[in-house]
Parts: sequence; C-alpha cells; structure tokens
Amino acid sequence: MSRDPYNTEVRQRFAAPAFAGRADTASRGRGQGVDIEFSASCDDQRIASMRFRAYGCPHTIAACDLACEQLEGQPLAALASFSSDGLMRTLSVPVEKTGRILVLEDALRDLNSRLESP
Amino acid sequence: MTIYLDYAATTPVDPAVATTLADAMANPAMLANPSAGHAAGRDSERHVAHAADQLGALLQCAPSQIVWTSGATEADNLALLGGARYRARRGRHLVTMPTEHKAVTDTCRQLERDGYSVTWLTPDASGRVDLAELEASLREDTQLVSIMHVNNETGVTQDIETIGSLCRARDILFHVDAAQSVGKLPLDFADSTIDLLSLSAHKMYGPKGIGALVVADRPGCHVEPILYGGGQQGGRRPGTLPVPLIVAFGKAAQLATTHMAADLERTRELRDRLWQGIADLDGVTLNGDAEAHYPGILNVGVDGVEGESLLLALDPVCVATGSACNSRDREPSRVLRSMGRSDTEAQSAIRFSFGRFTRDDDIDEAVARYRDAVTRLRALAPAA
Repeated sequence: MSRDPYNTEVRQRFAAPAFAGRADTASRGRGQGVDIEFSASCDDQRIASMRFRAYGCPHTIAACDLACEQLEGQPLAALASFSSDGLMRTLSVPVEKTGRILVLEDALRDLNSRLESP
Repeated sequence: MTIYLDYAATTPVDPAVATTLADAMANPAMLANPSAGHAAGRDSERHVAHAADQLGALLQCAPSQIVWTSGATEADNLALLGGARYRARRGRHLVTMPTEHKAVTDTCRQLERDGYSVTWLTPDASGRVDLAELEASLREDTQLVSIMHVNNETGVTQDIETIGSLCRARDILFHVDAAQSVGKLPLDFADSTIDLLSLSAHKMYGPKGIGALVVADRPGCHVEPILYGGGQQGGRRPGTLPVPLIVAFGKAAQLATTHMAADLERTRELRDRLWQGIADLDGVTLNGDAEAHYPGILNVGVDGVEGESLLLALDPVCVATGSACNSRDREPSRVLRSMGRSDTEAQSAIRFSFGRFTRDDDIDEAVARYRDAVTRLRALAPAA
C-alpha cells in the first residue's frame, strides 16, 4: 500500500491547475481550513467559462480544478446538482477531508444562485 | 533527486559509521552475547565497553552511567516512568512543558492517568520557559522536572544549567531530552546539574535502533526498570545488547567529538544562508528564538499559504511541517500552538533542518523553491 497521500491526478492538477483564475460572476465558500472562490461566465444558460481560486490543501485545489473542468460547457443547472462523490473517488480524497469538499459543493450552489438571480 | 533538509527527523548515517556497522555485523569478535561468560562474550563486552568510552568522552560521563536503549523515546520513557516510580514514595508531582517531544508529553499523560500530578509550563512566544514560573511551580512533593535542551520543531534551546540548579537545590530529578543536541552542541554531563539525559544515535549520524539514557551518580538519582526479562545493565534495562549498533553509536560519538566545532560553524553558515534567502518575503516569520537556538533547525511561518500545499509545492525538497512523528496527521503543530501561534499560523510552518552533509547548493535550491511556492500559492488563493 502506497504511503503517498496524493494520486497522480491530484499531483498533476496541483502542479498545473488549468482552471485557476477569475471569470465574471463569483461566489465564495469558507470553512474547514479552506477558502474557495468559483467564478463563471455564461452564454445563454450555459457555463461558457469556469474558473477557481483556492486556499487549501492539494486535494482541495485539485478538486476545484476538476470541478471546473467537469462543469465548463454544462447547463447552469449543473451547478446546483453537482455532486462531489465523483471528485472524491477520482482524487482519492481522504474521508477526513470530506468537509472541505462539501465547502466546494456549497460554493457551487451559491454560484448557481448568483447566476440565476443577477 | 531529493534534497534532504529533515535532519531533525533523522540524520543521514555518516559513511564512516555505516562502514563500522557493516564491519561489526560481519566481525566474529562481536558475534556473541556480551552477557555470556565465555571468551566470545568477553570479546563482545570489550567492544561495548569501547563504545561506552567513546560516548562517555563526548558527553563527559562515566561509561557506567550509560544505559543503552532502543532510542530516545525509550530513554525518555525510562527516565520519566522509572524516575517517577523510584521517587513515588517521596511525592508524585512532575513539571514539564507542552512543547516537549511526544515521548515526554505522552509519558507524562500516562503518569497523570496513574495518579501523578503534572504541571505544564506555558512557553513564551519564542518557546522558552519562564524560569520564574518554573521555580514557582516546584513544590514539596515535586520529584522530577523534564525540559528538553533543543526543541525538535523550532531549535529553541532552554537554559538547562539554571533549571538544573533550581532542581538540584531541592533534590528534584532533572531530566533532559537531548536528542537534538548531543553531538551538535557542547554538553558536559559531569559538570552539569542534569540527572537523566536522553539521546539517540540516529539524530547524530548514527544508526536507528540505538540510544541511551545517562544516569547521574548521586544519592536519590535512580530509575526503576520499565521492562522486565533479564538482569542486563545492572537491572535497569533488560535485553541482549545489540553490539553492532552500539559499536556504530560509539563511532558516531567519536566523530561528533572530532567534528562538533566545525559542524556547528558550518551549520550556522547554512542557517544564515537559508534565512537570508527567504526573510525578505512578505509575511515570513521566524518561529523560535533568534538568539537561543540550535542553528541546524529553522522553523518558518508564512502568511496566506496553506502548509500542506506548501509542503507538496516544495517537493523534492524534503522538509517537515511538524515533528516527523506528527507530520502525517496534518494537525497544526501543538508546539507552535503552545507558543501562541494561531491554527493558521501553525499550519503554514515549515521546519528546515540540516547539518554535516548539507551543501550550499541544497540551501539555494530550497530557497528558490520556497520563494516560488509561496508566490504561486498566494496567486492561486482568493483575494483577502
């Protein structure tokens, strides 16, 4: 059993997060030792561009990057229905960090609210 | 290619020690159990005695005062449990600090569960003990004070001579965990007021698996055994002595005696090079005391950067966020929390530690990667 706490996906996304940055409308989630900002630009009820900024552990940063990748191009409603279960599995997030990923989910839902009620 | 700057967790084995160990493992003259009465046993015993002489020369103690253990953790346990139990009829009060190594704090917690009373002294912001507070904590029933020489996370040194004098004047046992200082800073056991001294070979370029507790020869200074199963080492610590490890420990001690002054000067240069390379970064702070410290450990905090991410971003520079024993649980350092740092401040702290085999290039690479990591992670974070 590997003692490396980070799988290849986490290491790659942490080293070079492709979706780091800022788009038009932003939301923010704080707690559990993380501070996450998601932002999006929309085009006719679709997410044209999705970006993040984050203060947190490598799993948090990788999860934000992966969430942006999965959501870009999707309908706005995908923000509200986004489930982090897939992120947790893909990134092998330790169970003790679940709370941090829930902060991520909350920030996405908040972003959805802001985009639907500008 | 890793850059190893985690000497406080364990030092590399000096090549001369490694050769000594390998030779000892293959040497028929070190094959036998040194407790055996036959000729081969006496051969082994002579090699153990020679190693004790080498360690005694480094510490300025008599070979008979050395109790071989598996390392400093066991030595700390033997000192605290053994010392407290030996003195139990006189009193059941101990004094220590929350910034001690877990081998001390966890053992003191166990003594509390066993009915002993422990006073936990709060360090000042630099990690040093308040001597007036320490003196005020000493009671009629105080039997043992345990304060480490060099803190394993911050490098802060304590005034062990003054503390020892306070203890000796009251006939209180004074235990010093010197795992981070033996072989690196001058220490004259015979001329000190230390009663019990813990040390470990693998913190001074020796092998893992061997350490010692040095016990002063004075009335009332003794430890009850905490292990049972044989009469070795005067009954203080049973078990067959690991002759090759002890011989290698002796070699490490001999090298330390020879190289200590040069090692210390070199370590100061490395420390200055590292600190000067990063001190100008905005929000960087030194965790520890600028004056009272061992220069081979530099603990640095930084605003606005998460510690676990910083550690990964520094890869392949091998450093620590806390003591190695704690580094996998990702909790903020209890040492830094005890010094008044916030969870966030403690979480961002990185411990660089280095020594005999560290090169200037290693430090320069660490500086470059630290600066880059801090800049990158700050840029990645949301605006404050």
